[in-house]
Amino acid sequence: MSVATASDGAPFAQQAELDSNADNAIPLREVISMAEKVTAALKPLVRSLDKAMYRELKDMLDSIEALRGDLSKVDPDDIFSRRIPEMGRELSAIVSATEVATNSIMNIAEQVLAADKSDPAAYGALVEQHMMAIFEACTFQDLTGQRVTRVIQTIEVIEERIEVLCRMIENNQITPTASKVSDTEKRNRARLVKGPANQGEGISQDAIDSMF
Amino acid sequence: MTLDKNMRILIVDDYATMLRILRNLLKQLGFENVHDASDGKEALRRFETCRYDLVISDWNMEPMTGFELLKAVRANPETAGTKFIMITAESATENVIAAKRAGVDNYIIKPFTTEVLRGKLEAVFHQQVA
Repeated sequence: MSVATASDGAPFAQQAELDSNADNAIPLREVISMAEKVTAALKPLVRSLDKAMYRELKDMLDSIEALRGDLSKVDPDDIFSRRIPEMGRELSAIVSATEVATNSIMNIAEQVLAADKSDPAAYGALVEQHMMAIFEACTFQDLTGQRVTRVIQTIEVIEERIEVLCRMIENNQITPTASKVSDTEKRNRARLVKGPANQGEGISQDAIDSMF
Repeated sequence: MTLDKNMRILIVDDYATMLRILRNLLKQLGFENVHDASDGKEALRRFETCRYDLVISDWNMEPMTGFELLKAVRANPETAGTKFIMITAESATENVIAAKRAGVDNYIIKPFTTEVLRGKLEAVFHQQVA
């Protein structure tokens, strides 16, 4: 451990002792007394600094706790490992069901179109039988309707959690970075691929006809 | 004057169901010489061995879109004169304008009826479908 020294290299205590022998020297007792007074005067300041720092740290801790609470509501594991894959499965099942039903209905229609019409009674019976098969094929709509409802419910849950994230971003004044455009999106933009327009959007067939 | 029912038609769509619907509708209108392809690239391969009087194509297909197919057909002097109808769900005005500039003969928005298809065939060939 190093010993504190005065500017000429002698330890302070030794220097004070030497100085006490000089005519204009301040006695050691007075130096100690002054030091005690300064320390006593600084105590309230140090205490107030301690309190302010404590309050700051407490606020930070509360914010972190609140943030942690909000983040636990988002539950990304639940979204990515359960809800989104489940939604994908539901949508695939919808595509398959509509495809099966469409093919069934088209098979029936082709059979009716190709049927022998020379015997009206037999043809009528065949058409009636095939019409019933079309009704049966249309039952897919009930199942796909239920699947669509489940997908909508999942989207609503995800929407709620995104809302929590948005609130966190707002409350913490985080500036979001520009959203990244995926390669597929870029490619589709270049190829003018947007997909079907919603009702009331896009150009009508009549407007197109007037262009040709 | 009526449309030649034996004309060679190439229908292009990546949905087998849509190809089947188109084939049936064209059959109902009397056109039986119908060939199909599941995207633009396959359609261009068909053009290497066969000439077509009419192409009816979807827009949104992988790996080659109907729009890219249209431009490729128009860029080749041997196929440039082929009539081309786009049947698509892409109904943005800019798509229709881009297709028109690229030389499409007509444009049909999905879903469509047999009557719309008939009307477009008549408009493109300036003849009646009997």
